Amino acid sequence: MPNLHNRVLLTLSCLGFAAIFSCGFLNHAQNRLANGFAYSVFQGPAYEASAAMAGLCGLAIASFVWNEGHRAFATILAAGLILWGSIAGAGHFAAILMQAGPPAARVSLGPAFWILASVSLLAIVDAVQRGNFGLFVRISLGAVLCAGLIGMTAAGDFDHLALVREFSNIRSIFLTELWRHLGLVGAAVIAALIIGVPLTVLVLRKKAAAGFVFASLGIVQTIPSIALFGVLIAPMTRLSEAMPFLRALGINGTGPAPAILALTLYALLPLVRSFHTGLSEVALEVKDAAAAIGFDARQMFIEVELPLALPALLSGLRVVTIQAIGLASVAALIGAGGLGTFIFQGIGQYALDLVLIGAFPIILLALIANFFFETLLGLARRRL
Amino acid sequence: MIVLCNVSKTFGATPAVFDFSLKIESGSFFVLVGPSGCGKSTVLRMINAMIVPDKGEIEVHNQNIRTIDPEKLRRGIGYVIQSAGLFPHWTAADNILAVPHLLKWSPSQCAARLDALVALLSIDRALLARYPRQLSGGQQQRIGVARALAADPDIVLMDEPFAALDPVSRAALQDEIAAIHARTAKTIVFVTHDMDEALRLATGLAVMNNGRLIQTGTPAAILLAPADDFVRGFVGGEDLPLRLLDLVPVRKLMKRGNAAVAATIAAGASLKEALNLMLARRSSSLCVVDENGARLGVIHLADIIARRDAL
Repeated sequence: MPNLHNRVLLTLSCLGFAAIFSCGFLNHAQNRLANGFAYSVFQGPAYEASAAMAGLCGLAIASFVWNEGHRAFATILAAGLILWGSIAGAGHFAAILMQAGPPAARVSLGPAFWILASVSLLAIVDAVQRGNFGLFVRISLGAVLCAGLIGMTAAGDFDHLALVREFSNIRSIFLTELWRHLGLVGAAVIAALIIGVPLTVLVLRKKAAAGFVFASLGIVQTIPSIALFGVLIAPMTRLSEAMPFLRALGINGTGPAPAILALTLYALLPLVRSFHTGLSEVALEVKDAAAAIGFDARQMFIEVELPLALPALLSGLRVVTIQAIGLASVAALIGAGGLGTFIFQGIGQYALDLVLIGAFPIILLALIANFFFETLLGLARRRL
Repeated sequence: MIVLCNVSKTFGATPAVFDFSLKIESGSFFVLVGPSGCGKSTVLRMINAMIVPDKGEIEVHNQNIRTIDPEKLRRGIGYVIQSAGLFPHWTAADNILAVPHLLKWSPSQCAARLDALVALLSIDRALLARYPRQLSGGQQQRIGVARALAADPDIVLMDEPFAALDPVSRAALQDEIAAIHARTAKTIVFVTHDMDEALRLATGLAVMNNGRLIQTGTPAAILLAPADDFVRGFVGGEDLPLRLLDLVPVRKLMKRGNAAVAATIAAGASLKEALNLMLARRSSSLCVVDENGARLGVIHLADIIARRDAL
């Protein structure tokens, strides 16, 4: 009996098999609103289905491979098979189903597809983390995955899936909303920095103010996001009515202004807290030595405190940015636009594929932001 | 010259230093001793304006330090603390050159000074490119001392600099700082609670307790005539007679003549070392020789026991 060397892979493989046998792979409905009929993997094209099955078996076998490097290689290969089998299979299968049905019919991705895709991505992430691969390998792997997906999309492999059909409906406004989303996040993070940095200085200088500042920011943090967005409408409307120049600037009860304000308020607590912790954790003896050999306050901050607190500052900024990327989706409710627009439209129209078109890029943005800050953190920590 | 005149400092409700007056001559190796919490570090930190006294005046080089910009004052005074306090994000070389960097020296000046300091403190050149966390405690403190000496200050303040080191590193750094003092005539103000360290290094000594100056003078004067029971207990108690032997060189009690013994001792060695050698050789006299090994005279156990007149 060979030894099990990676429980995660075996679990993922079992999960994949369970999904194939118990859940639908694609859902075929006469129109958006109708209840569809679920098709399993085995009713789909044989090649792709076999590839996915072979990949799942491969994962199970890989979990018994002793050699760390061989296992990582086998895992990535098997996961690639599953990913290709499920994605290409879904596209191909959808094309077959749509040939028979009316043009209004919708073919959506079912639970088995999502589970297979997640299983393969998790297996790849697991292999990359255990193998402790360098930045170059990580980026190349990501690039290969993205290139494959983009190539298949461009070749029209997915044209019959509801996800792509919904996307082609909103293609013209997708980029606009994406930029708007990024604009909301960027404006909120910058505004939070502009307010947060002086607040941090205040909290560091005056211990008495710290309690009050953290308590007030903590209260803001406890307000549910939808409520905060809503609560801001009335005062912002009154403000813009009282001050015509604000209205001229486009500041109103609805739209981007209250959204950015709300996102900024949410960003302040984690930002100020992490900046405060980072700067106050700079070793006292180092600051003492710096002062004693003649650093003035400005030199101390720029040459000692800032570089030593940099990792903490960057992780604070990372938390704040990722939080803002997620929260900005709610901004669509008060007319600020962004990717949340598609989510709420999708919910309203009972078009779950439209929801995904909004949700996927948000997840992707958060992952990219995380990767960006992790890389910066790695650079900042290298010398400490 | 450093002069403290009726200086007092209170932290909250606790008085740390009370009505403290002291004169430290230029070129002396002045050691402040006393038990933990007696205010000796506070006195030290008042000299470079890290702590501002509530009452009293402090003069450095005949100038009241209240009239000097604190940063400027500090850049002219070396400072070493127990934990070295090196900048963790700077290499050893950058740490050493911290004050020249603040004073905006040219790169060639910095490089020349670095070479001089590396030679002065026998620092391994391979350590210069390392970061503090890659250095041992002894190596870190050596860099810390080099940083204090970097801009060639007249005055160096040292706050229990060797207390956290192993005995070997501590002895090596004590020797080096004593040699540097002898060669450069810098004024060194040194805080410690270790009496052996104080006696080994000091040319002038001040004993403190509860924020007050109890006694000041040369080490020998204090050991011979402790002002009160506290000083007696602190400077040696039962070991006081033995400690005194440490302060007197063999030369002082040497007699002319020849002894019929093989054991020899250098004229510059202390009486304690002579006594040690007598005990080891089971001999009541030793031949005294100079650095070249030429015989100078003889020293007898009876003279060591009756040493008082030598001081």
